[in-house]
Amino acid sequence: MKFFRSVGQVFGYSPFPTLVKHAVLCGRAVGILQKQFEAYENEDFDLVEKYREEIDELESQADELKEEVRTHVTRSMILPIDRQDLLEFLRAQDEIINNCEHVGHMLTFRKVKLGVNIAGEFKILLSKIMECVNEYERMVEHISTLIETSFDRKEVQAVLEIIQEVESLEHECDQSQLKLHTMLFNSDALNPLDVYLMVTWVVHLGYIANAASRAADRFRLMILGR
Amino acid sequence: MIDVLIVLAVISAFYMAWNIGANDAANSMATSYGSRALSLRQIIIVAAILEFLGAALFGKNVVKTIAKGIVPIELLDPHLLIYGAVAALLSAGLWITIATYLHLPISTTHSIVGAMLGFGIAAVSQGHLSLNAIKWDELIKIMLSWLISPLAGAVLAFSIFSLIRFILFRKFHYEKVERVFRYLQVFTACYVAFAHGSNDVANAVAPIAVIFGHTAGGYYEIPREILAFGGLGIAIGIATWGYRVIKMVGERITQLTYTRGFSAEFATATTVLFASAIGMPISTTHTLVGSVIGVGLAGGLAGVNLDVIQRIIFSWILTLPISMLLSIGIYTILVVFV
Repeated sequence: MKFFRSVGQVFGYSPFPTLVKHAVLCGRAVGILQKQFEAYENEDFDLVEKYREEIDELESQADELKEEVRTHVTRSMILPIDRQDLLEFLRAQDEIINNCEHVGHMLTFRKVKLGVNIAGEFKILLSKIMECVNEYERMVEHISTLIETSFDRKEVQAVLEIIQEVESLEHECDQSQLKLHTMLFNSDALNPLDVYLMVTWVVHLGYIANAASRAADRFRLMILGR
Repeated sequence: MIDVLIVLAVISAFYMAWNIGANDAANSMATSYGSRALSLRQIIIVAAILEFLGAALFGKNVVKTIAKGIVPIELLDPHLLIYGAVAALLSAGLWITIATYLHLPISTTHSIVGAMLGFGIAAVSQGHLSLNAIKWDELIKIMLSWLISPLAGAVLAFSIFSLIRFILFRKFHYEKVERVFRYLQVFTACYVAFAHGSNDVANAVAPIAVIFGHTAGGYYEIPREILAFGGLGIAIGIATWGYRVIKMVGERITQLTYTRGFSAEFATATTVLFASAIGMPISTTHTLVGSVIGVGLAGGLAGVNLDVIQRIIFSWILTLPISMLLSIGIYTILVVFV
């Protein structure tokens, strides 16, 4: 349409739906990681490779979303929250999916025969991480209500409670990691290279939960720092 | 020949009114469509009726300001007034058409004020008026109102939304508040249309009020038919083209809930209607931009883009000299050749 004059541009870009999309990708990556680990346990290494590629793909989609927000959220925008807080939060959230990608790669380094006990503990850790990231996703999805109510106290309070829940789930992941580490370092019969690789998995799986907890803390600073 | 010029003036005034309906009225009404308080059909009906009523019932003061507040028309020969009216309408209409094609967010108000000033200056240059006869103090008042009106919109909208936020959202569930404001926004949509009609009809019909007011003797009384004629042109503009602009602009506005729409519209309409009451010709769309920024500053919107301010200031600076120069040119041609 050629003939129009408009001041509609004053309604600028809203970064918030994109933040939610990005968080959803993080959750999906953890879900695929669970499947990838099951494939590993069943020694279906082609499937392990396929899931690695899927996670890589999600990570690159997440990077695009991150770039989108970073290019659109300029200083000439009025946002209901601090711009710097928003960008810091997104950076923290991006670490969740980055760490998923790292673990996805580490599962392709070497073929280890997992014992039932060790595999079981890994699955517990993974499901705890999934729980933590699901809760995290729920937290991010609350941003639309926060915006609509212009950060009404009651809504902020409700979100703060979810943040605490994310943090306590992260603590449960820590406990599960502790158990796995103890188990692995006392498996004298295992090949040390196998142990070394599995310890690396545990450490990096822990980073995923840590990233969620750290991003949740950034989220708290963002919604309170107004 | 004079009859031809009068017909030309009436046709250009109608074209201006049509343009105001198609673009300016549509921009003002787009917020109601953006928040989905009304359907497109309802908005067209509300806008057409209330723009007309605003123009016919409340448009007189601004028409007086533009018609005789800048150029002392009582000092000029009736023939020159007809040339002046034609020059002002053609130049404003031409500039608006160009700017619309280039998507510049210019104001029809600024265009017609620049064009009337051009007519005055051309009359001065031909020795029909002295430079001091141009009402400079009035002109400065008008230009000051262009700065004040967006600021007033911003302050009002900021206050209204802050009240909603800190009183209503705290006391009641926000979904309930939004539901109530959906109905209140029907009222503010009418309010905006009425206010817009009352202020902007002058941009189209003030020059023909210059002709008819004078020939009827005692132009202080502006014939109601002229206001109604302008109102009709605006209504037709909304119905024949404005709905497209409303749809296009409204679809971009997704972050506007009923409370936000209400705040921006109420602030805009109040500012504009007040300006109409004191006879100040202001830009409704620029006031609306101020109001939206006010809601944004009160923490009501997900993202407000301040780049638009630069574009508005840019077209502000362009409009006055361009419409003035065009008007001087057309007036001079008419005086020399007709």
